[in-house]
Amino acid sequence: MPVVNITNDRLKKFVPGVKVDKVLDILPFVALDIEGVDSNVIRVEYNPNRPDFSSDYGIARALRGLLGIETGMPKFKVASKSGQAIRVDPAVKKIRPCIVALVAKNGRLDDETIKQLIAMQEDLHNGVGRRRKKASIGIHNLDAISFPIIYKAAGSDYSFVPLGESSSMTIGQILKESEIGKQYGHILDKFDRYPVIVDSAGTTLSFPPIINGDITKVDTKCRNLFVEVTATDQKAAEDVLAIIAVTLQDAGFEIRTVSIGNREMPQMRPNQIAADINYINGILGLDLDARQMIMCLKKSRLDAKTRGSKIICTIPRYRTDITHSIDIAEEVAIGYGIYNLEPTFPASTTAGQKNLLSTYFEAIRETMTGLGMLESLNFSLTSKEVQYDSFGIKASDMLSVDGSKSIEHEILRESLIPSLLQSLSRNVHEEYPQRLFEIGKTFRKNGEIAESWNVAAVVAHGEAGYTEIKSAIQALLKTCFGKDATTKAASSPFFMSGRCAEITVEGKTVGMIGEVTPPALERFKLRVPVAGFEINLSALTGA
Amino acid sequence: MDQVRRGIEWLKFKDFISVNELSASRVFLANEGAVTKNNGLPERRLVNAVKEGKNTIAEVLASGVIKNEEVNAAIAGARRNQWIQLVEGKMIATTLAEKQSPEEVFLARLDSEGTDITKLTDEEKRTLDQLKKRPNYIEVKEEKETKISLTDAGRMLLPTLKEEINAERRLTTDLITSGKWKETKFSALDVEAPAPAAYPGRRHPLVDIIEEVKEIFVGLGFEEIDGPMVQSGFWNFDALFTPQDHPAREMQDTFYVSGQKQEIPASNDQIKKISSIHKRGWGREWDAEEAKRMVLRTHTTPVTLQHLAKIKPESGRFFSVGRVFRNEKVSYKHLVEFHQVEGVATAPNASLRDLMGLQKEFYAKMGIKKIKFWPTFFPYTEPSLQSMVYNEKLEKWVELFGMGIFRPEVTQPLGIKNPVLAWGGGLERIAMLRFGLDDVRELYSNRLAWLRSVPRCQL
Repeated sequence: MPVVNITNDRLKKFVPGVKVDKVLDILPFVALDIEGVDSNVIRVEYNPNRPDFSSDYGIARALRGLLGIETGMPKFKVASKSGQAIRVDPAVKKIRPCIVALVAKNGRLDDETIKQLIAMQEDLHNGVGRRRKKASIGIHNLDAISFPIIYKAAGSDYSFVPLGESSSMTIGQILKESEIGKQYGHILDKFDRYPVIVDSAGTTLSFPPIINGDITKVDTKCRNLFVEVTATDQKAAEDVLAIIAVTLQDAGFEIRTVSIGNREMPQMRPNQIAADINYINGILGLDLDARQMIMCLKKSRLDAKTRGSKIICTIPRYRTDITHSIDIAEEVAIGYGIYNLEPTFPASTTAGQKNLLSTYFEAIRETMTGLGMLESLNFSLTSKEVQYDSFGIKASDMLSVDGSKSIEHEILRESLIPSLLQSLSRNVHEEYPQRLFEIGKTFRKNGEIAESWNVAAVVAHGEAGYTEIKSAIQALLKTCFGKDATTKAASSPFFMSGRCAEITVEGKTVGMIGEVTPPALERFKLRVPVAGFEINLSALTGA
Repeated sequence: MDQVRRGIEWLKFKDFISVNELSASRVFLANEGAVTKNNGLPERRLVNAVKEGKNTIAEVLASGVIKNEEVNAAIAGARRNQWIQLVEGKMIATTLAEKQSPEEVFLARLDSEGTDITKLTDEEKRTLDQLKKRPNYIEVKEEKETKISLTDAGRMLLPTLKEEINAERRLTTDLITSGKWKETKFSALDVEAPAPAAYPGRRHPLVDIIEEVKEIFVGLGFEEIDGPMVQSGFWNFDALFTPQDHPAREMQDTFYVSGQKQEIPASNDQIKKISSIHKRGWGREWDAEEAKRMVLRTHTTPVTLQHLAKIKPESGRFFSVGRVFRNEKVSYKHLVEFHQVEGVATAPNASLRDLMGLQKEFYAKMGIKKIKFWPTFFPYTEPSLQSMVYNEKLEKWVELFGMGIFRPEVTQPLGIKNPVLAWGGGLERIAMLRFGLDDVRELYSNRLAWLRSVPRCQL
């Protein structure tokens, strides 16, 4: 989860007179996790549904509400139109079609504010922006720009001085040579033309979503900003711009609109949602009247009024997470204070029960442990080496997963025996006899994926052999299911020829049994004989 | 034998005896030697035949008393002992033939007990060397001898033990059935002596917790459900209102089964309704192919949801405990595969406070008394809460199950009318707290030392 740093100095300004301890107590109740605290900074984690929490300004808005310092929807005012415009070249439509922008005037930037803005930009890139693929942001020094601006497509030989460089580079060089180009270049992989934002003097503001130009760089001397958001999705672009607009206003800037096509941006008109009072009370298990409910919503920084049996709720543009009356219910709960909600225990009208499989498993566990076996738990995801190569099996139909971060977990197991041998292998220094069993899911490719529950056991010690393990399977089938096991000579890559059989019950093959082959024992570094069985419980029971 | 050895160890430990280990070589009759001891040495059989008038080797061989391969040894032996003379090509027995040879004397004194090699005279040793040359006559065994003697402390105990010398150590079937036990005195055992470790078969400690959780659910009126571990993207994500471009759906976080698709993951009606809710809610196109891709379920909720969609209960309580998968780097706190506990309850007037109440009761039954709730976010529940429980051992609050009410975008398209309260979380976390583990991998290591050491009951 993304993290925001709040310094104590800034906190004092946001919530004057409130002690840090009180803030630490209250933060979790606006759904913020405290990741860490040190002498001067609180590190706060926020959930991805609240991109408006990507700066300390956003967190302050919520804190001030729940603490009652300032309630209701924060006032947002567009100072005026900036009179500036962006022209969009139709050539970008196929590459990165959307652009929105705003102008922020007459603010002051100190180091900490710049840090917050950069962190916010980074979080928005990663979250809403889906690692810049869906949306990305450029923040520029307005005074270095000559309007109008054009958003257009350029070839890979187009060159400009990118941020942090002293000489000009071509787009091709940026993509191939710079760190940032290598990191995000894949977003533009399938294009041979690239989006650029250029002003009327020919200054390159940005090559989105990769890097800005150096000339419009922002520092603490900047008083006026120009912010553009480019995106593949208009809604994502406008959502991001709204969050930036309200944040810059909180930072002391006047927000002015920029004209794109025929529309002025940012669009900050609040949304309205009507929610039934009874519905909200029902969901929360409360009995609030309209007045109380409105008070709760105001503490959650929303506006609300009643209309008949409904609450009409006004949602600021930056709260992109509220789309349904159920979201209003949660805002009421947060404004009410989760700590004020008393748990109620609803008595059950039905008797509970385990399913049939659980009953079988219990019986099997009891029988196997009664035979002196220890239960082993292994992963369903295993390696090709353990499952197949160790037995010289040439797997043609294995089920593998894409992009596993470890070769130990690359395929779904078809059999439990290899896992159990692996368990024995980890215990060669322990006292023998060792007897293990496992109940586990196995997976087979059968057109679609066939899953079945299997039971397997292995016995390992100086005298271990076929007879002991056959006694075990006989006991298991008889005790758990009242069935007689028949064994018919067969062959298997796990077991020695002549010491291997199919296990059949009432004529149906349900598993295999035998003594593990010496080459397999060698592979698993085992120095004692091992005998084992595996049965398909699903085939046996139909469960 | 084992018992004797243990007894000796124990007495030695208590300082009642002293133990001296000596090694000695003993001479035994080997197979051929034993046969010869009965039948006589080849030279003796030869000389006897000569006395009976068989004067040539051919005649002796024809009588069968010695075999071809024994001829050389027989002649050499008889000559060495001066038992025969050759006169005009015929063998004649001498008077010395009446005397036993040293080898005969030596063989005669060997018995199954063997003879201590150190007690032989020099002459006997020479004889032994002679006999050793004959194949398979003699065996020399290195023997360890343990000499046990009473220490002073042991001797002082003797008077009290006297009574027990004639006492029986074991109560046998014979003693019981014959009634002899009435006249028998039984010795006292050293009841303080250590006994060897026994390792019973047992369930896996994690399974103990799974069973405990199941019992709690059943006690609260929940019915168990179960379903496939491999699910379509449709049920794992789409039906739970997770947008198709959500990071959780990327390969970095989720395991997709290579090349596997489920052509018809759900009914036409379900697909139609869920795709349109995605288009409305997320403002983007919905890709039916993406929904067909098979994933290793990232939670058990797709199983729960399909069950609810199938039976559409007015009210009901269901639970599952099953494996879920995340494409993580395995570390001391992350596994690629773990168990999720999930409970859902639906009723016409189910509320968030009810959910908190169920939760409180569930934890209480697990022995957790101090809990609190924080708001949080999950993509498919609203409102959503995070439960925090106080861990007495760690003396701090730890995050446990997450919970919430299924969003209408989840329930409505599937025809589920009433609010569905849901909660769930990883079981391994509880297991780590319970067993005091710092490394979650231990739970799946199958190290016998650990498995055998975990107490089954919490005192």
